[in-house]
Amino acid sequence: MGVQIVMDRSGDTRHEFDTADARSVALAEKRFRELTGKGFRAVALAKDGGSGKLLGRFDPQEEQTLFIPQLQGG
Amino acid sequence: MERVVQILRALLRRALGENEREPPALVDVAIESAAEPRLWVEFSNGYRTSAPLLPEDCFSFCERHSAWDLVSLRRALLTEARFAYARMLQEQADMRERRRRAWVTEQMSRLGRGLARSLRPRREALRFAGFGGRTYLDEGRSEAHERGMRLLKENLSPAQLQQYHKYGYFEVVGGRSGKRYRIRHGRSMNIDQLDKNGRRICGWCFFPEGNLVTGDVMLAQKQALELFELEALKIANKMW
Repeated sequence: MGVQIVMDRSGDTRHEFDTADARSVALAEKRFRELTGKGFRAVALAKDGGSGKLLGRFDPQEEQTLFIPQLQGG
Repeated sequence: MERVVQILRALLRRALGENEREPPALVDVAIESAAEPRLWVEFSNGYRTSAPLLPEDCFSFCERHSAWDLVSLRRALLTEARFAYARMLQEQADMRERRRRAWVTEQMSRLGRGLARSLRPRREALRFAGFGGRTYLDEGRSEAHERGMRLLKENLSPAQLQQYHKYGYFEVVGGRSGKRYRIRHGRSMNIDQLDKNGRRICGWCFFPEGNLVTGDVMLAQKQALELFELEALKIANKMW
């Protein structure tokens, strides 16, 4: 199982997908492309809270992918 | 006060009012003896002004100065005018100084109010020492907030989590530069860049779009500094 965590005003919204189900993976990939197309950054989260990995393309093997909205200066 | 002196002062005030920026010097006073006598006052910039003058306006003044002909009356009026004009110029200068001081005071207090506002801690960043830990004013505010804090804590390293619980901030090492940053509890203006001794060098302000909850913002800041530090700092505003 993989999970895509999208940061939003509700805290976050989680979308789980079954890595063994091609349709579920395709849906997750579509979501990945949509979000990154909107400017979200996809980060594969590390388990121990260490540095994650910035994802340029969808990887179904990543257990947790965090989507961070575009940054702005304050 | 004699009537002629009142007329003289009115003429001087008129001249000052019309030449407020650069008051000219008083040059002369003249009495025009015609069918309708007038008192004239002349200034160094060529400005002249006059008012009708009746003989009865001058009686008491002439008496006081023993001026019973036009020449001595003119001389006495010129002396009176010089004295009065010098006092008016002084009063005008004093008023200008008072206005300037009032303006400076107002600007300083405006600046002070602005500074006080910008230095006032933001509501969400206020924290109080609780029992064995820290509590924040924005804690328990909403389910979204709780979810954000949970996500943050799940993704902090044990050292960062301990630091956060103890001090209300955690430190991050920039993925590209190796520089140290301190992310304080908050949603904006909450990142400090540290030197090797842990002293603040400057501050950075950036956060994700969308008015996210505190936990999300701090996690996004951590990930950004660790994974795409230079791009994040390019977007960020630097604060000294």
